[in-house]
Amino acid sequence: MLEKTLIKQNIPAERRLCATRRGFVFGKISLITALFLAVMVLHSAAGVLVAPTVIFISDKGRTGRMTVQNPTDKPQEITVYFSFGLPKSDSLGNVTVRLTDTLITDPNSALGWVKAFPRKMILQPKGSQVVRFRATPPKDLPEGEYWARVVVRSQDGETTLPSPTAEGAITTKLNMIMQTAIMLKYRKGQLTSKLELGETSATVDGEKVKVMIDMKNTGNCSYIGMLACRLMDANNKEISHASVQLAVYRNLLRRVELPIREGSFMKPYRVEIGISTSGRKDIAAEDMITGNEISQALAVQ
Amino acid sequence: MRNSISKSLARFVSIVTIVTFAAVLKPSTVSAQDVANGSATATVQAVLVVTSTAALAFGNVFQGVSTSVANAAAGAGVFTVTGQASSVIAMYMQLPDYMSTATGDDRMVISFSATDASVDSTANTTPTTFGTGWQNTNPHNINAATELGNAGAALFLGGKVLPTVDQAAGAYTADIILTVAYTGT
Repeated sequence: MLEKTLIKQNIPAERRLCATRRGFVFGKISLITALFLAVMVLHSAAGVLVAPTVIFISDKGRTGRMTVQNPTDKPQEITVYFSFGLPKSDSLGNVTVRLTDTLITDPNSALGWVKAFPRKMILQPKGSQVVRFRATPPKDLPEGEYWARVVVRSQDGETTLPSPTAEGAITTKLNMIMQTAIMLKYRKGQLTSKLELGETSATVDGEKVKVMIDMKNTGNCSYIGMLACRLMDANNKEISHASVQLAVYRNLLRRVELPIREGSFMKPYRVEIGISTSGRKDIAAEDMITGNEISQALAVQ
Repeated sequence: MRNSISKSLARFVSIVTIVTFAAVLKPSTVSAQDVANGSATATVQAVLVVTSTAALAFGNVFQGVSTSVANAAAGAGVFTVTGQASSVIAMYMQLPDYMSTATGDDRMVISFSATDASVDSTANTTPTTFGTGWQNTNPHNINAATELGNAGAALFLGGKVLPTVDQAAGAYTADIILTVAYTGT
């Protein structure tokens, strides 16, 4: 575009080339500057970081750790406490995690015998803190996996109340408190990861196919893996696919929606379901427990 | 001559930018390193970040006059969540029934209706320009599990304060708590 303009203005070829290159260089500089500014903005808005997303404690070491980091420019008040909550589904296949602090009756709860140090801290700007966990389970604890949620609560360490700008006025200050609930798993003895499929269905719902998959954990630890669904036509052509991370602790009804793309697809359609413990990139390979693989094809109703 | 100067300038700017990027991004990366003699292995751990980029703001309110902020208004509260891309999170809110003065002498009712929250599953964090997701959902029961994209997700929150006719003037505070958990771990 720039070169065409220069040709129209009868600018000599050498100067044209030079000007075009300058334009390219400055365009590049602008792009880099814009990217840099974007990263700066994202960085300045960052909150408290918590890593990893799952803490594993074995019965051999009985200790674990987590890192909390404050990359903001303000001090953050951090509180670490324990709660209990497993992923649960409703009849529509929506999965939620609700935390419960008291009256936990789950036999696989690790609440009460896992401690965190420190539990309260002020993290200075750019500061980080390692939180260590120590498990002291009951002596007669059967083999298996035991769970608790580590809740990291963070809020601004310094708050100021706003002053009314008009006489007799009322001002408000809402403290936005953030809680990150990550799973802690205590593992003892030989663990088996096994999943069974219950009732499954695939039905057309408008412009998508709704797949409902009922799963039951029959192992002695949580089944962590991936659930993949592919919508296929009669000629084995893939119409769409979806893949979600899966964590089944007891029973779970999961809904997956597959869009029916426009195209020359021949009915009848079918859905291919694949469940496997492989394909997780967020959990270290040594912490994964290999379980059974499931594959099933469903006719779309 | 000019070409070589431009090239050198471009190289210099690129190098400076890369170095600055590295310096800026360094504190954001939480990683655990297990170092053994003779070789080094590093395990970069997945992180979960929950942030509040804006508090729900009602501004000045007056006795006997209720004030509302919509979840698509500039004064809406904004939480953002970033983490492992394509993972699914569950969000749960604990909302106050009233706000109180610092001394606890007086209280003011605050309410949240069944349409006061919106969950934006795109990179957008501005409540006035909603992208896609779940609009006008119930903040007391955000049951739609949200799949995190590369840019994460945002939650916009509106609300309403109802000062009485004899509400004492001053500053009132309350806590809004957002809890986020992965459903797939």
